[in-house]
Parts: sequence; C-alpha cells; structure tokens
Amino acid sequence: MSLVRGVFVAFVTALRQLFRRRMTLRYPEEKLEIEGEGFQYDAKKAIGIPGYKGRHILFLDKCTGCQLCSIACENIADCIEMVTVEKKDFPAWVVPKQLAAAATFPQNKKSLWPQIDFGSCVFCGFCVDACPFDALYMTNEYELTSYTKEGLIFTPTQLAIPPKEVGKTVKFQVEEMEAYHG
Amino acid sequence: MTSVARSLPFPTEVIVGDKLSISIGPQHPGSGHFRIIVVLEGDIVSEAIPDPGYVHRGAEKMCEFRNFVQNVPMLERTTLPDANGIIFPYILAVEELMGIQAPPRAQYLRIISAELNRIVSHLYWLGIYGVFLGHSTMFLWPMGDRELFMDLIQTVGGTRVTPSYIIPGGARNDLPDNFKDKALKAFGYFERRLKEYDRIFFSNPLVLKRSQGVGVLKRSEAIALGITGPNLRGSGLKSDTRKDEPYSMYETLDFDIPSYPDGDCWARGMVRFHELYWSMQIIKQAVEKMPSGPFRSRLPLLTARAPAGEAVARTEAARGCMSYYVVSDGTSKPYRVRVSVPSFRNMIGIPYLLKGGHLADVPAIYWSLDYWPVEADK
Ligand code: SF4
Ligand code: SF4
Repeated sequence: MSLVRGVFVAFVTALRQLFRRRMTLRYPEEKLEIEGEGFQYDAKKAIGIPGYKGRHILFLDKCTGCQLCSIACENIADCIEMVTVEKKDFPAWVVPKQLAAAATFPQNKKSLWPQIDFGSCVFCGFCVDACPFDALYMTNEYELTSYTKEGLIFTPTQLAIPPKEVGKTVKFQVEEMEAYHG
Repeated sequence: MTSVARSLPFPTEVIVGDKLSISIGPQHPGSGHFRIIVVLEGDIVSEAIPDPGYVHRGAEKMCEFRNFVQNVPMLERTTLPDANGIIFPYILAVEELMGIQAPPRAQYLRIISAELNRIVSHLYWLGIYGVFLGHSTMFLWPMGDRELFMDLIQTVGGTRVTPSYIIPGGARNDLPDNFKDKALKAFGYFERRLKEYDRIFFSNPLVLKRSQGVGVLKRSEAIALGITGPNLRGSGLKSDTRKDEPYSMYETLDFDIPSYPDGDCWARGMVRFHELYWSMQIIKQAVEKMPSGPFRSRLPLLTARAPAGEAVARTEAARGCMSYYVVSDGTSKPYRVRVSVPSFRNMIGIPYLLKGGHLADVPAIYWSLDYWPVEADK
C-alpha cells in the first residue's frame, strides 16, 4: 500500500467513528445498570450464584454470629470484625418483621455480628462463600465514598440495610458496528 | 553499616565525556513503575540498564502466611489486567499437591476466564503501545472496546478486575444464563472492529515506518535470552504452553498460534493482534464444548490442607509462560511459593534491544515487549 493510500484509508476509518454513538458512560449523571442481585452463595449446594460483587448485605434473621466470615477474611484483608449489638440497639425498621416482637434474635444468642471495613475490603467474596447460613450476600452497590476512614466501616445496622436506589441507569449495549452506553 | 539491599544508583556524573545519562521512569514518562537508566551518545543509546524493584511487595513471602485459598486474591494483584491468567498455574499446582482434579466443566470455565483476561490484557497493551507511538486514536479505541470484555468478566466473576474466580477445586460459580448471547454479540462486534484496527494502525504506513525494523530480536537470540510469550512468537518461534504442554482442556480446542519471523516491534504487535482473534475463537469453542455437571468440588475453604510435598505447574499467561512452584509441609498454608513470571524473563530483552537504537525508539521497543513492572517485581 502506498503511503498516501494507506494514510487515506486510516483517516476514513477513523472518520466513520464520528457518526457512531459514544462509548462513554456519563457518570454520575447516568449510571451503569448491573444485572442480577449481586454475588450469592448457596451453602447447601456449595456453589456460588453469579452476580456483582459490591457492598455486602447481612440478614439479621439468619446470622448466628459464628464468626466464620471473619475467619475467612483474616488473612485476606482483615476487615471483618465481630461486634456485639443488642436487639434493642438496632433501629426498629432494619429488624425483619417476623422478629419485631422478640426480645432477642433467637438464632444469635450472643448478639455477635460482623462489621466490615470497606476501606480495606477487596470484594473477593470469600466471606460469602464461608457463611454456612446464607446470612451474608453481596449487592450491586458500589458507591461507598466517605469523607473519613471511619465512615467506611459499616456497622451491622448499615450492613442490614438493602442497597439504595441509584437513580437513572443505562445499559451497556453492543450492536453490529457500535457499542455504547444508553 | 552498609545496606545489603542494592539498588542501582543514578550515575553521579550525568555527563561523562560525550555521554549523557538520563533516567526514564519510575513515575511515568513512558515506563510505568520501572526505571531504565539510558546512557546516550548523541541520539544513540549506548547502554540501557533496567532497574526493577520499585513495586516489589514480597508476594512470595506473603503466601506463607495465608492458606491455599486465601492466597488467590493476593496473588492476582500482581497483574491486574490478567488476573485469571496468572493465577491459573497456582491453582493447578495446588490441585496437584492436594491430589484433586477439577471437574471438566470447571476446566472449561477456567479457560473462558483466562482467555477473556488475555484479551483485556492485550487491549490494554495495545492502547498504551498506540499512544507511545504517537497514535492517540489507538489509545482510545482499545480502551473503549476493552469495556466489552471487562463487562463479560464482570458477568462471570462479579468484578471487573481480580474476580478471584478460579480457586483450587474448580470455579466459584457457573456462567450466568445470558453469558453466551452476550459473548457472541460482543465477539461479532469485535471481530468486525479488528478489521478497523488493522486499517487504522497495523497497516497504517506511518505506524509501519515507526515499528518495522525497530528493535529486531532474531530467533536464535530470543531463544538464547530465554524470552517468552508473544515476544518469542514475534521472533518466529511457534512456542506456546497451551500447545506444547496442554493443560486443563486446551487439547480439545482447535486454535492457531500466531507467529511472525521478523522479530521487530511490528511483529510482536501483530502476534498479539492475532491472539485477540484466536482467544475469541477459543472462548466460543469452550462455551460449546462445555459439559454440564458440577463445577466445584467440595473443598473446605478455610481448612483445606495439602499433604507434604511439592508441585510445579505452568501455563501461558497473557505475557508468556507463567509458572508456580509450591511446597507444602502438610499444614493448611504453603511452606514456600516460588513464582516465575513472564515479565521478568522478558526484561532481559530491554537492555539488549535498546542498545544501538535511537532515543525516540525507546518507548516503541519498551512497550512492544509488553513489560509489566508490577508482575516482574512481585
Ligand atoms: S469480600 Fe471483603 S470482607 Fe469478604 S472476605 Fe473478601 S475482603 Fe474480606
Ligand atoms: S454472617 Fe454468616 S459466617 Fe458471618 S457470623 Fe453471621 S452466620 Fe457466621
């Protein structure tokens, strides 16, 4: 290919791109839609269920305080600490309805719960794999910024809250000759 | 007291006679977390001294304090764009030690994740290589199209980088139902897109002028120096661990090993360019051939022990042959883990290829080797 022809072909190829939709995701005005409910683990079948590995969610009616999640994380990021929170200290709206009247959580007599420091969590999900009671899952929430380091430490109460709505989401779409967010 | 750790000092005399020493890196212009001391005579490089170690973290030592599964997220972090590829041999070595074998479905899942990571890694390389050749469109396009494959990795493994997806005993989860459709759509788009890449970059006369005949590594030299991966194939040797010593299920898949005899920057680039295509073909076949059934053996996550012994495994990561040597003393933590990374083996090519070339060719040659400092420093 001659120099002139080669440069012309390259130029025309690049020019075509101008008429295609943009790949750029205009974050934070719009956010990516994430499929699924987040990474989960089926302890009975011992298999993971594919999903996004975002911030964790703790189910207060299932967690027994067995500490296995904390032990799993021990040498990975050391970010799960077991803390004691009495039932009366949880705000009423995070407590599952069927346990609202009970004085304690029947399955968790010692009131021990995991508390996760997202400042050092690497989102590997091995704590989810380790939980034998399906009490710890991951969610699609990934916006975990805070002004202080302490703000990234999620208490059992914060972990029990379902992920918040993120506002306008767009899909990542692939077509014949263009891939774009929208 | 003299320090035992030796790092290369920058020459105290910057100008000696008609020679000038300059330092390229370690904090960017052009080399990542890595320094090359370049001694110049006019515009010609008379000596190039690589100075690795800037991002050394002691990954091998850290392995001794974690159990076999907990090592996975840590070891992945040495090469972020190729996380599944570089953890692969570790998994195989640990499985050999423990005397277990992953179910066939898991072996295909591993191939899929490793090949997706190979594509991501090569696209990342292509972006940086392009921009250092002064072609900024070739930075933006691969970085954008990388999104397709990052998205696929996220669909499979849950995160865009370092999914900790493959573990001793199998894979963490099965493919989601929509993976096949998503992947075929992405591959269809990207195969058409590769033709555009070729027109705009790989057969662009301006890029050819910049890369052909630059940094030539002859076949015999490449073998003598122990160069590995796409750089070796760019020197004309069809050597690939996936074909030479098939592991997992690679022997059941039909694919070609691209190789070019020229040995210059262009040839090394073309090898990776064709590997993008072949990786997609491998994934397509793997998705078809995958048997149904279990994909994870019931390995206790926290207490898995390996009997005393040692094991070696090697695989083809994105940058070349990657191997792990794992020694166990019968406890749940490895006694010793030795990592042999392709980037470190390719580093020997840097002083060799830069010598005698122009200063302006330093970024072109350096990036054509796809050297990843973090991987080499471990
Ligand atoms: S996901 Fe986070 S909390 Fe869970 S084991 Fe990994 S690092 Fe620890
Ligand atoms: S989340 Fe699961 S593993 Fe962690 S303490 Fe509760 S029950 Fe145990």
